[in-house]
Amino acid sequence: MRTELSPRLKLALYGLLCVLAIPFVFPTWWMVTSSVKPISQIFAFPPELIPHTFDWSSYADVFRLQPFAQQYWNSCYIAAIVTVGTMAVSSLAGYAFARIRFPGSNLLFLVVLLGLLMPTEVTIVPLFQMSLKAGMVNTHWPLILVPMLGGMPSVFSTFVMRQFFIALPVELEEAARVDGLGRFKIFWTIALPLARPALAAVAIFTFLQSWNLYLEPIVYLTSPEKYTLPQALTQYVDVYQGPMWNIQLAAATLTALPVLVVFIFAQRQFIEGLAHTGLKG
Amino acid sequence: MARRESLAGYLFIAPQLIGIVVFVLIPLGLVVYYSLHEWNVLAGTFKFVGPANYEKLASDPSLPEVLLASGLFSAGLVVFNLSLALLLAILVNQKLRGIAVFRTLFFSPVVVSLVAWTIVWGFLLQANGGINGILAMFGITGPNWLRTPATAMIAVITVQVFKNVGLNMVLFLAALQGVPRELYEAARVDGASRFKQFRRITVPLISPTILLTMIITIVGSLQVFAQIAVLTQGGPGMSTTVLVYYLYQQAFQFHRFGYGSTLAILLFVIVAVLTFVQWQMRRKLVFYEN
Amino acid sequence: MAAVAIRNVVKRYGANTVIHGVSAEIADGEFVVLVGPSGCGKSTLLRMIAGLEPITEGEIEIGGRVVNELEPKDRDIAMVFQNYALYPHMTVEKNMGFSLEHRGASKAEIAGRVHWAADILGLGALLQRRPGQLSGGQRQRVAMGRAIVRNPQVFLFDEPLSNLDAKLRVVMRGEIKGLHQRLGTTMVYVTHDQIEAMTMADKIVVMNAGRIEQIGTATELYDRPANLFVAGFIGSPAMNFIPGPAMGQGAGITVGVRPEHFEIADGGLAGRVRLVEPLGSDTQITCDVDGIEIVAMFHRRVAATPGDTLSLRPLAGETHRFEASTGVRL
Repeated sequence: MRTELSPRLKLALYGLLCVLAIPFVFPTWWMVTSSVKPISQIFAFPPELIPHTFDWSSYADVFRLQPFAQQYWNSCYIAAIVTVGTMAVSSLAGYAFARIRFPGSNLLFLVVLLGLLMPTEVTIVPLFQMSLKAGMVNTHWPLILVPMLGGMPSVFSTFVMRQFFIALPVELEEAARVDGLGRFKIFWTIALPLARPALAAVAIFTFLQSWNLYLEPIVYLTSPEKYTLPQALTQYVDVYQGPMWNIQLAAATLTALPVLVVFIFAQRQFIEGLAHTGLKG
Repeated sequence: MARRESLAGYLFIAPQLIGIVVFVLIPLGLVVYYSLHEWNVLAGTFKFVGPANYEKLASDPSLPEVLLASGLFSAGLVVFNLSLALLLAILVNQKLRGIAVFRTLFFSPVVVSLVAWTIVWGFLLQANGGINGILAMFGITGPNWLRTPATAMIAVITVQVFKNVGLNMVLFLAALQGVPRELYEAARVDGASRFKQFRRITVPLISPTILLTMIITIVGSLQVFAQIAVLTQGGPGMSTTVLVYYLYQQAFQFHRFGYGSTLAILLFVIVAVLTFVQWQMRRKLVFYEN
Repeated sequence: MAAVAIRNVVKRYGANTVIHGVSAEIADGEFVVLVGPSGCGKSTLLRMIAGLEPITEGEIEIGGRVVNELEPKDRDIAMVFQNYALYPHMTVEKNMGFSLEHRGASKAEIAGRVHWAADILGLGALLQRRPGQLSGGQRQRVAMGRAIVRNPQVFLFDEPLSNLDAKLRVVMRGEIKGLHQRLGTTMVYVTHDQIEAMTMADKIVVMNAGRIEQIGTATELYDRPANLFVAGFIGSPAMNFIPGPAMGQGAGITVGVRPEHFEIADGGLAGRVRLVEPLGSDTQITCDVDGIEIVAMFHRRVAATPGDTLSLRPLAGETHRFEASTGVRL
């Protein structure tokens, strides 16, 4: 199918691609530009595609109305712990299910896979009750522990890691056994370093999952200084619960841009990593 | 030797297994238990009612609407998402200068914070928002997208499709690039047109990926929450109240934990049945797995 | 350096027995090749010596010590794997020094041993490369280097040359043999290639279907195969088997004649030529003798064309007799 295209067809394809790109690019553009427009301008007609006056006051408001820096930090550190923790939990479990022979491993693997069938929404009520009993409501613990140990992202990552380790030549580990290594050392010095692509995929996947969590924070967290970003964004409302658009857009810009910038610099890892996790799922 | 090996195995899986027991199995048991109780947190009542919640579910006048909304959302999302993903994958698979830029652009919403993305679209879809502004420049009066029953669902689906279609696009792209070139060359020698090549070679060979993305997309679609909560709060009327949103309302807004748990069981059964059916289909329909 | 003894070793996977009680003695410093068709159990036996597979029954002794319950690392063996099993994320130097590092050797000692091994194998220039940057032959050498740095009691080779092209295989065959002569360490070498077995081994163990068919030197196996299996497996092209009556023998007898042991002379088997394959110095002719296919090899040019009839006579004293029912040599 990848044959040489005629110039006319090429032109048509470029046209089609540009039109199709609009709904992917325009919202981000509109978010960034609207956030620096004066409030009087954001619903102006005709729409102002390139702002000519800049008003940074919405950004000041973002931090004035809510402890936004604290909320930003909350999201960052939660996502970081969940990401690193999931990498550890799922690479250990994935390795064992792929490589170590122990009684009941097949059955236990099926039990673990049950976690894939289970949207967190199904168990949110009892998890909330359990958190309440454990004194973990309005703390970040449920947002860290559940995804990392038992939630869909962690189970999915275990599955991805297992698939990767199965494909790793077993002779490498036998060579390491002959070279005098025990199980954990084989895992740590041979299998894990070689699993870097899979680990990167797991890291990106879990980070985005945690970063995007919305239902869980609004169920568990009650005070603004505990909020995470997605939850905080929707709290910039006026007394009638109407969104304060310019402030929401400024906060959204602050939330979205850093990840987008990282993505642009590391897009190969992102795209291949996420394609990898998807394919293996 | 074997004993130490087994011990290592159990230690390696211990964190995950404990997590599954504590955060999946026990809660699942509790959901079943709760669903047999009348439990109103505000009123402080908790009493065993047997199957009453299930009877209530069967006669809940809102349930047909909720299921319809869920069904429409899932079906619309899968059809729109997969066909757009395939189209995009075919386009970015062409030999064109700068095609990588387009691939990046189509993929970029995947990494944008979900709620941020939703807020921007909510902003664009306001009655006096950017989209209607652009339409007005062409003399078209756009509807109030999120407040009109007919368009609210379309809007919610659209927002979700553009957010995540890039993911399915790269999955399809990988599948397309995995089709051996020789097959196309052989087909050309045999005189097959481009369209025939697509239907007879491309589609069958990427069918495992099509089914996989379908499973991922459908299961994902049943979990949609943030978009609904931010864009429409289930409205107008009940037109975008999907099952998860309804569950959230019942449990956490109306504090009916017993009934909320019953809805959770319904959600679980739907996900389980769909997954099972799709795995069966995978066995029957997809012949090209290696 | 050590002798290896294998005594009544059985390997079962569940109900499936893959090795049916085999015994063999490998003397100190000997180069022994385990050879047989794929699935005969030779690799499993090697892996049991290495400690990578548990032994179901029987015992294996290395250097006078029963090793059944020992981890591979405690058996003082080194192994070269079929696909080399080099750690892709480490340099050649790291790969070779890895086992010493884990045995607590000092940095200087490791460097010394690695450079010693690299010198022997001509790897000096490659030490800082990674396996991915090496050719097949170089990887093979690194795998051997990794084995010899430790100076183990026994080297185990699991089909180490099967991923190399034909030319390189001949070169490496020579190198391994040279290494053995230089180090004098016991080597156990698994292959399915009988040429490799014949050219390298002090002693060949022929295996089939989980049993040892015969143990002997290359010459012994070639001259006096113990049964039909060994007769057919050793030698290329394979020995011809002719039913007794056609050779003036009893009905319960199978007569074996190697292709190179025919001459064209009166009074032989009347064969209709089906195929003539000139190989330069040799000529290989496939004939049909009363429905039996006979391959004959002559170390000269033979002018024959398909359809001709040749009289093939076995050389005097070069026929082998086997009992047809059991396959045992008579």
